[in-house]
Amino acid sequence: MTAPRVTLTGSWSGCQVANGDDALINILDTVDVPIVAVRRDFMIAGFNKAAADVLGLSPADIGRASRDISVLAGLPRLEQQCNRVIASGVDSRADLRDGDKWFVVRISPYTKGDRQVAGAVLTFTNVTAFRASIDQAIYEREWTKAIINTVADPLVVLSADQRIQSGNRAFYTMFGVSRDETQGVPLYELGKGAFDLAPLRAPLKEMLAGSHPFQPVEADDVFTAMGQRTLILDARSLALPGHSERRVLVTFHDITARKQAEAAKDLRSEEELRRSEAFLAEAQRLSATGSFSWRVATDEIRWSDEAYRIYEVDPAQPVTFDLIRARVHPENRVHLEEVIARARRDGGDFEYESRLLMPDRSVKYLHVVAHGGRNHNGEMELIGTVQDVTERRLAEEALSKARSELAHVARVTTLGALTASIAHEVNQPLSGIITNASTCLRMLDADSPNVDGARETVRRTIRDANRASEVITRLRALFSHRETTTETVDLNEATREVIALSLAELQRNQVILRPELADHLPPVSADRVQLQQVILNLLLNASEAMSDVDDRPRELVIRTARHDGDRVRLTMQDAGVGFGHHGVDKIFEPFYTTKSGGMGIGLSVSRSIIERHHGRLWATANDGPGATFAFSIPAAAEVAGNISVAVAAPAATDVVHALGEL
Amino acid sequence: MTDRRALVTVVDDDESVRESLPDLLRELGFAARAFSSAEDFLASDCVDRTSCLILDIVMPGGMSGPELQRELAGRRQLIPIVFITANGDETTRPRLIAEGAVECLLKPFGEKALLSALSAALRVA
Repeated sequence: MTAPRVTLTGSWSGCQVANGDDALINILDTVDVPIVAVRRDFMIAGFNKAAADVLGLSPADIGRASRDISVLAGLPRLEQQCNRVIASGVDSRADLRDGDKWFVVRISPYTKGDRQVAGAVLTFTNVTAFRASIDQAIYEREWTKAIINTVADPLVVLSADQRIQSGNRAFYTMFGVSRDETQGVPLYELGKGAFDLAPLRAPLKEMLAGSHPFQPVEADDVFTAMGQRTLILDARSLALPGHSERRVLVTFHDITARKQAEAAKDLRSEEELRRSEAFLAEAQRLSATGSFSWRVATDEIRWSDEAYRIYEVDPAQPVTFDLIRARVHPENRVHLEEVIARARRDGGDFEYESRLLMPDRSVKYLHVVAHGGRNHNGEMELIGTVQDVTERRLAEEALSKARSELAHVARVTTLGALTASIAHEVNQPLSGIITNASTCLRMLDADSPNVDGARETVRRTIRDANRASEVITRLRALFSHRETTTETVDLNEATREVIALSLAELQRNQVILRPELADHLPPVSADRVQLQQVILNLLLNASEAMSDVDDRPRELVIRTARHDGDRVRLTMQDAGVGFGHHGVDKIFEPFYTTKSGGMGIGLSVSRSIIERHHGRLWATANDGPGATFAFSIPAAAEVAGNISVAVAAPAATDVVHALGEL
Repeated sequence: MTDRRALVTVVDDDESVRESLPDLLRELGFAARAFSSAEDFLASDCVDRTSCLILDIVMPGGMSGPELQRELAGRRQLIPIVFITANGDETTRPRLIAEGAVECLLKPFGEKALLSALSAALRVA
């Protein structure tokens, strides 16, 4: 600021000013800036009206030493300053506080008419308002700084040439640098050059040129004081109204934790998905249930792995209706076409049974269920399952076959063998009855009747009649079950009954029977007649298997025992011809027989019966000659519910009829 | 003529037969003995004295009737044999007769059939 020179030539209002000039004094008095003139000897030479008003000077102060004026005492080195100004002729400035007012005091030299510097003139510019606004600005700036420093995300301001100007605390902390060492450093040198990215430079330039707003950029593996981080950089152009300078505010958002969490979640959900897919695949495999989808418009068909397995098609092969048609049993093709046509026409749900004819000529039974609907693209799509129910269907067929076979077996095969037993059992006592009765008659008819002898023979007759009666009672018990019922059965007792009825057959075949029936065998819940049919079947098979054996005892061991804790097992070990070249596997097939008169159904029927009892029937070759057949069924508490098979037991009338023919 | 003092021996594992048949045989005028197995009979003193053997076919645990028949033939003991059985079929009788048996009676048999068989047996003897 250039210093205004004031030349005092007279006295001021009421003051003694040399060469008083009223006009000038009047002018000075109109200036509302206090002006005080001080002589070389620091005495007050004069002052204007504003000095009197603002600084409280009075005419009496004229001629007093400036240091004695209280307001001027606030300018501590006033005398030295005045000396320097007077000596040098150069203005000086000082700040003065008077109460709550602030002044900037300009000290300028003043001359008299002879141009000699006569003293200094002090002008007091009131800067109180200005100073307050500065203070306010500083105050606000500190607040802003404090706020910015509390922002967790690092912020940095760049110059237009992308050099760092200043950052917030988070910024310096993140990169482990100080304000000083980064001032003026290009952003691209930060974080070991992590930001020296083409996707960053070009958009920043474009943004500064004002053509495009900046789109956030992700920077991976940025070296920071906290290790390698993943950051999202965003930038905003900064400008002040009326200023052409552009600056850039860059924000850093650390998404490392989120990325890691997402990665972990991805991994987790990938693992979960993989697991649930594995579960589904396993469930499909276990239940022999495949799934499929069919987009009706495009005929795009998709199968699950299990569906491929069921159709026995290479999973690499695309699924088409031609492929399906080729697999479907010829007798089911018309039905398939109907189902397809209906689904195309009506959508909706369908459920049907079908059969496949496999390349090896085997037949599979399928249960197909599908649900139609619109997928997320609004297209008609059918989603369904295809279950391989072959085993179930075969079991049902085997069961229904077994029902009729059993009736047949009971009437033909088993009853035929039983007849021999029954005949033997009944004929023995009948024979005794007749013999004793004959003897009795003869004893009584003698000239001297042998009454005691006759009494004895009658006693024996009654005994033998009772014996015959017991046989009939036993038969009645065995054949009284017209319908299948589940009851608690003592396997030992059931076995003993079968043995008793088979003794004749065993004797005829000269079989040495060795029963080894376990004590304290838990009861089983079973259909007694069916169970006995199985035992009888196994027993007769064993007996027959030994009928041609002459080089060793025809020994048959029947054992009962606990099995696997909660089951009961019966084994029938013979010393017969064994399985020979036929193998164990074939013997359970229906209609497989090695016997000239056999129907080949005994074992398959027996197996069906045992499986219906939640049990298992198996055969093994002995170490020595012969074979061992065995079945195990759960002990009574283990069998839930009734066995749902109705097998016609041989009618009692059949037995009576058979007996009548003997 | 029937030799009423002839010894008829019964070999049968069934006790009631061993009880009742000898009694009837005695009433019919024969001497009678009974054994429960072929082995017991072979071990007895009756083998040489028996005029007719009434023999069961199936005797579990030991020698069967036909086996005893073969055994006796092997020993040149030509005793007429009448087989008795409770579970023979139509093939049993011809087979046994072909092997040298006099008769084969299916249980239960009457007095008449027994006498007829014994007559034939003793005639053979």
